[in-house]
Amino acid sequence: MRRGSSGEGALWLCAGAAAACLAAIVALLVWLGAAGLAPFWPAPIVEIGLADGHTLLGEVAERRGSTLVIRGSERERIGGAYARIEADAIVSRDTPRDAFAVTLSDGRRIFGRGDPPAADALLRSIPGANASAPAEWPNAHGLFGRMGTFLRDAGRFLVASTMAPSLAGGAFPALVGTVVLVFLMSLIVMPFGVATAVYLHERRGFAASLVRSAIANLAGVPSIVYGVLGLGLFVHGIGADVDRWFFADRLPVPTFGSGGLLWAALTLALLTLPVVVVSVEEGLGRIPPGLLAGSLALGATRGETMWRLLLPAARPALLTGLILAIARAAGAVAPLMLVGVVRLAPALPVDGAFPFLHPSRQFMHLGFSVYDAALASPDALRGIPRAYACALLLVIVVVALNLAAIVLRNRLRERYRVLEG
Amino acid sequence: MPGNPVTYAPLLTEGQSPSVAVRRRRERAGNAFVVAGAAVVLVALLAIPLFLGASILAWLPLPEGAWSRLGILIAGSAKAATCALLLAVPLALAAAIFSAQFASQGFRSWLKPGLEILEAIPTVVLGLVAFATLSPWLKHNVATLLALIVAIPVLLLAAGFAFGGAFRRQVGWLPLWLAPVLLAVVVAMIAVLGPLQKDAIVPPSPWNAVLVGLALGLAAIPMMFSVAEDALMQMPSTHVQAALALGATRWQAIRSIVLPAARPGLIAAFALGASRCLGETMIVLMASGNTPIGDPNPLAGLRSISADLALGMPEAAPPGGAYRTLLLAALVLFVLTFVLNLLAERARAHVRRTHAAPALA
Amino acid sequence: MATTMTAPDNVPGTAAVTVELPAGVEIALELRALSLWYGARQALDAVGFGVPARKITALIGPSASGKSSLLRCLNRLNDELPECRVEGEVLLGGTNIYAKDAIVHEVRRRIGMVFQKPNPFPLSVYENVAYGPRLLGVKGRRELDASVEGALKAVRLWDEVSARLDDSALALSLGQQQRLVIARALAVGPEILLMDEPASALDPAATLRFEELLHELAQRYTVLLVTHNMQQAARVSDYVAFLHQGRLVEFGDTDALLTNPRERLTEDYITGRYA
Repeated sequence: MRRGSSGEGALWLCAGAAAACLAAIVALLVWLGAAGLAPFWPAPIVEIGLADGHTLLGEVAERRGSTLVIRGSERERIGGAYARIEADAIVSRDTPRDAFAVTLSDGRRIFGRGDPPAADALLRSIPGANASAPAEWPNAHGLFGRMGTFLRDAGRFLVASTMAPSLAGGAFPALVGTVVLVFLMSLIVMPFGVATAVYLHERRGFAASLVRSAIANLAGVPSIVYGVLGLGLFVHGIGADVDRWFFADRLPVPTFGSGGLLWAALTLALLTLPVVVVSVEEGLGRIPPGLLAGSLALGATRGETMWRLLLPAARPALLTGLILAIARAAGAVAPLMLVGVVRLAPALPVDGAFPFLHPSRQFMHLGFSVYDAALASPDALRGIPRAYACALLLVIVVVALNLAAIVLRNRLRERYRVLEG
Repeated sequence: MPGNPVTYAPLLTEGQSPSVAVRRRRERAGNAFVVAGAAVVLVALLAIPLFLGASILAWLPLPEGAWSRLGILIAGSAKAATCALLLAVPLALAAAIFSAQFASQGFRSWLKPGLEILEAIPTVVLGLVAFATLSPWLKHNVATLLALIVAIPVLLLAAGFAFGGAFRRQVGWLPLWLAPVLLAVVVAMIAVLGPLQKDAIVPPSPWNAVLVGLALGLAAIPMMFSVAEDALMQMPSTHVQAALALGATRWQAIRSIVLPAARPGLIAAFALGASRCLGETMIVLMASGNTPIGDPNPLAGLRSISADLALGMPEAAPPGGAYRTLLLAALVLFVLTFVLNLLAERARAHVRRTHAAPALA
Repeated sequence: MATTMTAPDNVPGTAAVTVELPAGVEIALELRALSLWYGARQALDAVGFGVPARKITALIGPSASGKSSLLRCLNRLNDELPECRVEGEVLLGGTNIYAKDAIVHEVRRRIGMVFQKPNPFPLSVYENVAYGPRLLGVKGRRELDASVEGALKAVRLWDEVSARLDDSALALSLGQQQRLVIARALAVGPEILLMDEPASALDPAATLRFEELLHELAQRYTVLLVTHNMQQAARVSDYVAFLHQGRLVEFGDTDALLTNPRERLTEDYITGRYA
């Protein structure tokens, strides 16, 4: 039976392709997890003795082949105390138990040796330095101590503010900005998406097919083009007009004439509209027609049937659409770069001052933080690990949302199998 | 009706009941809202080209050198998309063939969510991995990459001939076993070849089209896979069974019957993938170097339309020359992706029509 | 003394169909030369008869004779199909339900419908029955409770579900679901109930209970019932209308028509000479 083997090779190629895809996904996720969590694992403080007699006290920032980069005390500016050492220049290497590290309020790291009074003295010797947290002695910790520090630092990343101008510190403002943006977007996209889906469900005819192909084409437009529309039409167009009519006293400082939360939410709403429409229409289509007939036979109008019976019955589909739209918005960075996202916002878009939500403010976004930390960080050796940490957080949120949507979709199928059965 | 009295009250007609009027008004408002929603969608689709076109027309003539810059950008986008498709098309197509024709139901229920997760990962994250991790490695390991590209398919073919018979039974789950083996082989080759070929081929730029192709290709696979798989599964299994009964091998049946019949769907998958690759911004922004040179060397940098828009628009002020050029670039990008999407929709509609007909009979 | 209903002479293509009703029988719904087209295909041809009030009328005939289409004309459900065209009149309380200014949802409120396969909404038992009253603007909890309880009692379902009002309606048995659907229709206060083969999805025991319910319902409501089952028609109905290929062939008292049909077509159908 040699005949069969002429196809075996091709079969294995195809299987190999599928295997490669799976392997790539797994490898990517594992790498993201490792690179994203690594920055929080407390690094030991090392004391390096060099051939020329100097000693360096600091932490290992990077290890590339046989070259070591050590971050020493950043007395002047952040990123200003790196030393690149070749392996063969190292005479001694030690992790002294009394070595401590202090993180300043602008993200700088200061290292020294001694006990707490010595740490205070060192701190006072640096002009204008405030500690953002008490000094720490990482080398004295055992495994459990290190795990505790790891959890604490990871937690702090989620709730602490970002430090200016170094972008060290937490991702809380970026998280808040992303959440508020997505919330505003949902308020805009859901009514229009549901309305369009209802329209497509009820009408046939030329207009309906036009709308349907419009949806299909909108889905394929690159996200950056939406950004251009947002910038050109909303910001420079409508925004400038709004400024002239309502905020003329503040000109030339723009209120709505520059990028901000409102325009970004509008732009993203346009971007995610097809996702919502497709999901809701599919959900409405799954409802058995007997329900519509039953409702009409009771004397309900079509509109009443839709509002009181069909849309509530399609609630899982509405939720799925919303979740997928949110997941898409969390990951769409390109259009936001044009309509209002900034590296470091002076204030959160929500605060205690009326009207509590400020749609003209600029905001931070988790996805943009990834890009910004990687490419535009003042300190590249801090930027990349930070980018990975933000990326891991973003991926966790997005994947969780997508999994929720998958579970909901399955529950939807079950529910309608019961109805029809 | 002679002599038979009617017992029920007369039917209510218009104007006789206020509550009916309320319901009528609510119904009309609801209808208006629904139509308004649909109208917004239409307006939105039209708004993009209309706005772009109108702005450009209003501010003609275009500045000096706009068209030549546009030419470079188009070339850059094309270069990035080509490299990405070179990776994505074979992988997506082969995986789709496997999933549609050979995979067991169980394996398919792992593959589909797996690829959905890949599709969900924001492209900025893929761009990060390309920029921060892949680029430093690729700078010194171009020859290793080439070796991998050649060696893996050859190894797979050889393994197929050698072990094919033994695994005939478990073909349905084959990729699950292959995946770790594949990873191990790749890691081993990288570790062994790395020091041997270090800097044998030096790319002109550490951020180049090959890097973009790797990341962007991976990002484009899920969508192309699902469209291709749909196309390949349209063919009723009876035709394939008939071919097998006539003595063809499974692979011959696929090549002669399934693939030709699925051609419109596969074209749609390709068009959609190309459209996605042309329009992608973050990966290109982070991994291409954004150098506006027209160098066809895949190891040299590029600047794509989307990256130029992302970098240039925040700075450009209307109605300056830079702003107008960028609007033109946006319009070109929109038209390119629109045409590709239209092609794909046409192809898919064609598929729906040809496969709907038999059902009516 | 017999009263005859005849189709108007000036309607083309119709022979006068003699409909005999005892004097003094009240007519709830009067059909006059009702014709129905689905696109180019004619489904009903000048059907004319009166549905006697507070009696059960069975609509029988071979498949594709237009029975279900006729039913759907009577509550204007056919309006939902875009290619449907209706000619003729259907009089409820003296007013034509197809009049230009007739309110469709009022028609459907007064002429309720029960479908072949029970179609309870994916809501609780309570909410299913309260659906109609809510539409009509009933908001108060006590009024809704009263409507729900009244309707469920009228279909003899109250005792079975009063403890499970908040459970999903889909958890009930098919027989209970069919009765629930009737309760739902009763809750809006109809006068006429249209039923399209309502017991065909039920097992024999449930069917029997259903037929007992029909007798009770007929004391207050007019019932027009489509059935394929001759024995059921005989058991349950007071009057029978026989439809064949969209035309009314014969109409009369059940016992009289089934034992002694006047038309040849009717006799052939009853004796089973064709399905």
